[in-house]
Amino acid sequence: MIDKHGEEQIERSSEEALAYVESLIKEKLADIPIKVYRAAGENIIVEVPREYLRNVAKVVHDDLDAYVRTCAGCDEREVAGIYAVYHILGLDNYGANVVIKVPVPEDDVKVPTIADIAPGAGWCELEFRDLVGIDLSGRPTHRLVLPDDWPDGLYPLRRDVPYGIRPPPVKREEVSLIEIERPGIPVGPYHPALHEPEYFELYVEGETVVDVRYRGFHIHRGIEKLGESKLTYKQIPFIAERICGICGFVHSCCYVMAVEKAAGIDVPERADYIRTIVLEVERIHSHLLWLGVACHVLGYDAGFMHTWRIREKVMALAEYLTGSRKTYGINIIGGVRKDINKEKVPKVLEVLDYVEKGTKNLADVLFSVPEVVKRLTGTGKLYREEARKLSVVGPVARASGLYRDVRKDYPYLAYRDATFKVPLYTEGDNLSRTLVRVEEIFESISIIRQLLDRMPGGDIKVEEYEIPLGRVATASAEAPRGEDIHFLITGRGRPYRWKVRAPTYQNIPALRAMLRDQQLADAPITIASIDPCFSCTDRLVVVEVSGGRVQRVRRINLVRLVGGGRRW
Amino acid sequence: MVKLKFVKLITVARKAGTVTRRYPFEGPLLTEEFRGEVRLDPEKCIGCGACTIICPPNALTLHDEGEVRVIRYFVGRCIFCGMCAEVCPTQAITITKEFELAAPTTEQLLRDLVHERVKCRICGKPFLPAKLLKAANSDVPGSENYIDICPECRIKIGLKSILEHKLG
Repeated sequence: MIDKHGEEQIERSSEEALAYVESLIKEKLADIPIKVYRAAGENIIVEVPREYLRNVAKVVHDDLDAYVRTCAGCDEREVAGIYAVYHILGLDNYGANVVIKVPVPEDDVKVPTIADIAPGAGWCELEFRDLVGIDLSGRPTHRLVLPDDWPDGLYPLRRDVPYGIRPPPVKREEVSLIEIERPGIPVGPYHPALHEPEYFELYVEGETVVDVRYRGFHIHRGIEKLGESKLTYKQIPFIAERICGICGFVHSCCYVMAVEKAAGIDVPERADYIRTIVLEVERIHSHLLWLGVACHVLGYDAGFMHTWRIREKVMALAEYLTGSRKTYGINIIGGVRKDINKEKVPKVLEVLDYVEKGTKNLADVLFSVPEVVKRLTGTGKLYREEARKLSVVGPVARASGLYRDVRKDYPYLAYRDATFKVPLYTEGDNLSRTLVRVEEIFESISIIRQLLDRMPGGDIKVEEYEIPLGRVATASAEAPRGEDIHFLITGRGRPYRWKVRAPTYQNIPALRAMLRDQQLADAPITIASIDPCFSCTDRLVVVEVSGGRVQRVRRINLVRLVGGGRRW
Repeated sequence: MVKLKFVKLITVARKAGTVTRRYPFEGPLLTEEFRGEVRLDPEKCIGCGACTIICPPNALTLHDEGEVRVIRYFVGRCIFCGMCAEVCPTQAITITKEFELAAPTTEQLLRDLVHERVKCRICGKPFLPAKLLKAANSDVPGSENYIDICPECRIKIGLKSILEHKLG
């Protein structure tokens, strides 16, 4: 296999690659008392005492060129009498994960931060501080995930906290938004016209954005806790599918793959193919949806209408293949529930032809509209170095010159059997992100055609399996928005720990770099360009520095603000 | 002229024509694979509750209340995955294409299927639906001697016979 720099390389995720990484770690960390052992799949666990965590993280992140995939805190008091932190770093050149496991004693629940070494870990560290109550040393902390009125000292993901408790809200002094930020600069309100509850504060000087603040997690639904305390292994694929309304199948795939890896279930090849085909159908629909929304944000509604006209065919195709337009519900542990038989193939090919032709025509028109091209070119720049440091994923990374695609780096399902190229641009602006997505639509169409052609026969599921206790596994998949990763520790009847990291989680911190020193008017498309995925309804806060007045504006007003009085 | 390339959209639009349907005056666009509301056949259902165990969102629930067993289907919770139809031992559950399910009250979203429970021959307590017992009986030949005795009484009888045997 040839790597992205044109050098000869061992095959990713192969036994050889993993053994090489393992020896590399042992060699580089010879003077640190670590325990290195293999877990399910491509994971290499490095158990390290917490005082050496920073040294290990530095070597793995900087010397081995790893990126932060996610980290998870885990309450293991029942089984081992400790808490544990798992930092999952990805070596995408080898298709291996280095899972740094840090045991944390019960009487001093604290770990050193690695966020200054690997900025990509900034959020997930705060997340386990909020949810599991493992404190951090060496960095400023604030509440990230839990709502403001949640009482202190109650950590929902600890095992002794029952599911469904509703503690009385704690009244806190409302912090004035203006006092935190630098005073004197006119603080401009702005908000992207996306239909989800995110909350951005853009601070402007004249027309230029100087700083951005983001407050999210308004819709933290506690799905992880639900999976760990209420549901069974077999029910979770369906709730996992509901994590995201657009790329839900990726989540259910990640979950079932993680369980299958942990339990060593041999999934029939045909099921792998069907999953891959449905994943690609989902990618096409998601990219078309995004393209439409981007047109809408740019004020080119004709483009919006026509992309969605094409997308409608893809939705109907998804229904034809799975039984449902969205939340397909065909994934179960051990395979899939619905077969794609021969009779269905001609119809699929017909739809693919329609979509390919339509998208080609439309993209041609779209990139000749002066207002679209001008507003996309050179805006929302994210440079390669910054992108690497922030561990961004998906089209955002690929538009900034980072060759990062889980389908190639950690080959899963049937992607090994398909040839496709990964669109790569180096400019890092909104136009490159758009082009990456448009090209990916055609690649996906080609992948589906190849897989339909090569579909092996046989069963589509295995029904008998056993899931052993205490196995650690991760599974990742390339969602339309980037890499999605699930971390799982198996338990009795249900996962002991199930951690989900959606792609937008990695990409939002990059928005700060993208928006800074940009024109205010480009902010909506820049925010939209990472294809963020929050959830429904939204609101806007207007901060007027002079009066110190905070005013909430309903979306309808916001749209007027964005569109400048245009009829929407 | 190159600059006016975007006018091509007019051709695209003309070719596509009107794609919107006059729903509800025209039928909805459904494929043959569409999964909608599930329907429980009261004739075929034996009240075993397999569907209530597999149901991921607990839309199907089982309630043993007094002399009846109720299999309750709450459409409001249903995610239309069709797992229930797959596990049903008597194929009593069919997946329909019904999707216009909105109702003014929550009660109208509840579909109850009521089974009479058989009373235990010994203690007189109701325990399982008659149909389920009949199905179990046909699966296990020779079980008609004890099929109408509730599990608790069966344990008692079993223990008693062991004790009698041991103590002579």
